[in-house]
Amino acid sequence: MPNKTTSYLTVWDDTVTGKDLIIALAVSTPLTLGGFIFTPWPAPMPLIIGLCGALLGFAINAVCLRPKRRLDIEGEA
Amino acid sequence: MDALILLQMLIAALIGVVVYTAIGVAPGTDETAVLAPVTLALVVAGIPLPVVLAFFMAAIVAKKLTDSIPVSVAGIPGGVMSAPMVEHAMILKREGHATLAIRKMASGSVIGTLVAIPVSLLLAFLLTPLADVLSQYASQIFFVGAVFLALMSREKVISLISIVILAALIQALRHFYWGMGVIPEGQVVFISFFLGITIGPMIFNLAQLTVREERRKMATGEPKTIKIYANDDSDDTSSFPNPFRILTRQEAVSATASSVLGSVTFFMSPVGITIFLGEVMSSWVKGTVEKASRALSSMDAVTNAAYIAGILIPLAALGIPMSPMAIGPGNAFFNAPPVLTLEQNAHHLMSFGEIAVASILGAGVALLITYPIAVRYARHICVFVFQRIPHEAFLAMFFSLVMLLAYMDAGVMGILGVGVLALVAGLLNRWGVNYGVQFMTLYAAPWLMGWMA
Repeated sequence: MPNKTTSYLTVWDDTVTGKDLIIALAVSTPLTLGGFIFTPWPAPMPLIIGLCGALLGFAINAVCLRPKRRLDIEGEA
Repeated sequence: MDALILLQMLIAALIGVVVYTAIGVAPGTDETAVLAPVTLALVVAGIPLPVVLAFFMAAIVAKKLTDSIPVSVAGIPGGVMSAPMVEHAMILKREGHATLAIRKMASGSVIGTLVAIPVSLLLAFLLTPLADVLSQYASQIFFVGAVFLALMSREKVISLISIVILAALIQALRHFYWGMGVIPEGQVVFISFFLGITIGPMIFNLAQLTVREERRKMATGEPKTIKIYANDDSDDTSSFPNPFRILTRQEAVSATASSVLGSVTFFMSPVGITIFLGEVMSSWVKGTVEKASRALSSMDAVTNAAYIAGILIPLAALGIPMSPMAIGPGNAFFNAPPVLTLEQNAHHLMSFGEIAVASILGAGVALLITYPIAVRYARHICVFVFQRIPHEAFLAMFFSLVMLLAYMDAGVMGILGVGVLALVAGLLNRWGVNYGVQFMTLYAAPWLMGWMA
């Protein structure tokens, strides 16, 4: 097995690391599902809070995690 | 239609443009996977349909404009539909015209949109009398559609076999929910199955990560390297880029003709039509650069036209999702229980005028904002998304959205059911059974299993 910290995984056509993927799932899923489950009814409110949770999770992940892509920019090397 | 609704439509279109301009650039984002869950959620949340349609049209047009950006800037497709264009964009890049590609493609997109909306509305008007007949035989039509798409695909045998297997699995899960008492008997679960198929490939990938042997195959020591091409002509600072000046007269004519053909063939696979028309339109052009420019502008025009016609014609005229586009990304407008059902959906609840206004407004907002941005800042947008937005954030967002809607459908059992379906659908997808076959099967399943039993 290659060293875990330097090994990248190809998921859905792009590279990720196992650790960050687990962190991202652990941030997004509870925010989204939790938002839905713990918001009191009636009808559209739980879904709206759940969707907000999904957006919030995306924002947190986007800010806190580092993309695993190497950019090779021509003309700026 | 009052001013308040129009204002809401405008705001929704603006949000759609901003969000999908970013998503369009991200590599590997599939139109169905990124649009269907969001549209479904909006419809189910009770947002007025014209507002959702304006959002959807803006999102589609913006995404189609921007998913050409990574093609021209880095030679990687921003979505499934832009994959066939990579080859031609690479030719332009090799000849030293990297940013010419994005300008030709974006201008083709504009023409595709401008042509497809009136043509689709006209076709819809002509096809309306067929609606009653078609909706009576909806299940049979979906079954024939599944067989047709299976025969048109590369892996015909497994595609045909999978129609029966998937139908059996879907009906088995429905009866399982009824038997467990999580869903009242007779109530049909749909949304979470649809999403299970949609994110099947991703769930299958995630499941593979837990298997040591599979994980080793997916591991690489290096992150994905993306090469950003140098700018060749950064002198374009004119006030508002004009697509008719960027395209030559012949290119504009080809793009227009392709858009009309792309709209008329709304029920066929858009990727197939795109490749076919792109080759035909460029086949009688001499010169490498001219040929590639012609192919790119025509292909981008077709993808836009096929998408817009694929959603507008079934929506305005037929009332059943009879195109790969309507049954995929735009599915929420046709079936989003409990808000919309096949018998009572956006086709029945929206007037022709409302559909026309919402589409024109959404597409118009997207064109006005995204087109000039795409033409001028293609490189900056690309670098920003690639450097700032981690792929994990996209994966986690779509995963959690699907979990949410599955839980809403049938609780914990719903999540388990979606897991099973997603694994099977993902494996079939890997083997070459495309989304079209799988979605048609989802619609035909109750009738098919009832008929076979």
